[in-house]
Amino acid sequence: MTDSRLRALTGTVEREVTVGADGAFTIAGEAFQADPIGPGAWRVTCRGRSRVVHVARDGDEEAYWVHVDGRVHRVEITRAGVRPRRKTSGREHALAAPMPATVLSVIAEIGQAVNAGDTLLMLEAMKMELPVRAPRAGVVTAVHCREGELVQPGVVLIDIT
Amino acid sequence: VFSRLLIANRGEIAVRVIRACRELAIETIAVYSEADRDALHVRVADRAVPIGAPPAGESYLVIPRVIQAALETGAEAVHPGYGFLSENPGFAQACAEAGLIFVGPPADVIARMGSKIEARRLMQAHGVPVVPGEAPDDQSDESLLRAAEQVGYPVLVKPSAGGGGIGMRIVREVDEAAAALHGARREAAAAFGDPTLYVERLVERPRHVEIQVLADHHGHVVHLFERECSLQRRHQKVIEESPSPALTPALRGRMGEAAVAAARAAGYRNAGTIEFLVEGSGDAARFYFLEMNTRLQVEHPVTEAVTGVDLVHAQLRIAAGEPLAWTQASLAQRGHSIECRVYAEDPAHDFLPQAGPLLLYHEPRAPGVRVDSGVTEGGEIPVHYDALLAKVIVHADTRDGAIARAVAALRGFPILGIRTNVSFLLAVLAHPAFARGGIDTRFLDRETPGIVAGMLEAPLPEEVFAAAAAEFERGLKTSAAGSRGATSVSPTIRPADGDQHALDPWDVSGPWIGAS
Repeated sequence: MTDSRLRALTGTVEREVTVGADGAFTIAGEAFQADPIGPGAWRVTCRGRSRVVHVARDGDEEAYWVHVDGRVHRVEITRAGVRPRRKTSGREHALAAPMPATVLSVIAEIGQAVNAGDTLLMLEAMKMELPVRAPRAGVVTAVHCREGELVQPGVVLIDIT
Repeated sequence: VFSRLLIANRGEIAVRVIRACRELAIETIAVYSEADRDALHVRVADRAVPIGAPPAGESYLVIPRVIQAALETGAEAVHPGYGFLSENPGFAQACAEAGLIFVGPPADVIARMGSKIEARRLMQAHGVPVVPGEAPDDQSDESLLRAAEQVGYPVLVKPSAGGGGIGMRIVREVDEAAAALHGARREAAAAFGDPTLYVERLVERPRHVEIQVLADHHGHVVHLFERECSLQRRHQKVIEESPSPALTPALRGRMGEAAVAAARAAGYRNAGTIEFLVEGSGDAARFYFLEMNTRLQVEHPVTEAVTGVDLVHAQLRIAAGEPLAWTQASLAQRGHSIECRVYAEDPAHDFLPQAGPLLLYHEPRAPGVRVDSGVTEGGEIPVHYDALLAKVIVHADTRDGAIARAVAALRGFPILGIRTNVSFLLAVLAHPAFARGGIDTRFLDRETPGIVAGMLEAPLPEEVFAAAAAEFERGLKTSAAGSRGATSVSPTIRPADGDQHALDPWDVSGPWIGAS
């Protein structure tokens, strides 16, 4: 195989990966050898040290879930020179439930001034408590839910202006 | 024992009960909601009965449907698992009225222990220590404020009903008390339909230590020692262990005796757990009755590991009327066991629960490692139920050995497709305070932000990029050959390739007892 270059991107780190022959890769001047040891499993060797790494492709996107030593990372891969599609984080509805949830308690009151990061509501979903926090400073102008209510994702629970 | 039993639950606990039944040659009936059609518990049961729509309130919590499923399939007994209907006295009663054996205590015992105030009074009357506090019949603000004065600030205001920290308020000064009472009353009424409150002295830096008990129908009660459960995040237990590094032999003995006394006072039957708060350390530490859980606990496997007793077998035999197979003197703790709860949640985003596909899921296998789970690779985690994916339970000679084993098991447990708390569990296991064993119940609430920040700062191993690039290249090659889908990660069908990931026969086996 002829050499080619890939761009690998996590939320915070970007690397250029040079693809060599037979599982050889060069990243930041360092040589890596990746050998398949099963479906989704690779033995990656660098400077004589090997690690088992598990990888799963995420649907149709060129994004990969990667596990090494108990930590999981999501890596996008594109051909060098191609800008990766940046996805929105999906957290812009900070004042809505992320999934079907029960309102445990309404902490904020109408007219109350809040700071960014203040907890406004506690939800429960999947048996976990989820605080809903103010994305920015402001004043609470409306509360659209009550304690004990089952709320659906995407429905705004509280207004801040 | 019985010949046929219905499991009124889902997930890992349903699978765990089904496996215990199989060992005792009991035929198993699973129930499932529409969201769980392909769930593991449905596949491993001898028969499975659909009971409704995905929300638990329309399926797993609908008593008449569960009873009907049991009657239609000819089940003799019902195991409730934990959560759902397990501590619902109405369900135990409905089972009894339908002629079904409920694997648990009688309905009136569940009801009595479900009221925190009533349980507290009962324990006090039988000499079991309770946190100093007041539960006034007069529930007016004035009366409750007077109670708080008598107890002495700081106090904890708690609802009589429910649990999970809902409606609880810490009140440090009298100025805060009225607002706290109103908030707690409102939350208790909304969450449990019962606004009754009581006031306790606030135990600072308490540990949560619980004692497992077994009681048969012939007057025998034994305890199976303690589980240390202080590692909790937002009232959700994260890591449990047995023995507790905080108990001296003398304290353990006193707590065991108190737990047996508590179970006798309650007229208890079957497996139950007495939760205590422990204050201070050494032989002089004090302990207080907190509540009794009238069911099997999530963390029961650590007790099984150190005592060698299969608690689900014990539950089934007790329910069938057999006497206990143990005396107190025949029970002992051997070695050390730790359970780590693997949740589908994202530590980097406020532990937001995660639903979605399990693209790759390999449970660790090693000596002294047990994994209880209700999921398989290729499955989907639904949004409707709790976020517990699996429990990794380890057992070793010593606590240090158990910690090392837990670390190795979690590092070798790849779960891809959804975020999990595995990296958080590893960070907690590596925390110096955990290694010392000096954890109180608010430890994680104080330390979690620092632990998560440390996790996010940890450098990314470059192997991550090499492996992702390798998978990308492999995908290109196979798609050029026109068969990309078959050899890139295809979660549902994969060959059993040596011991890398042999198919678990449990994952594919259907009924084999010959369900009708």
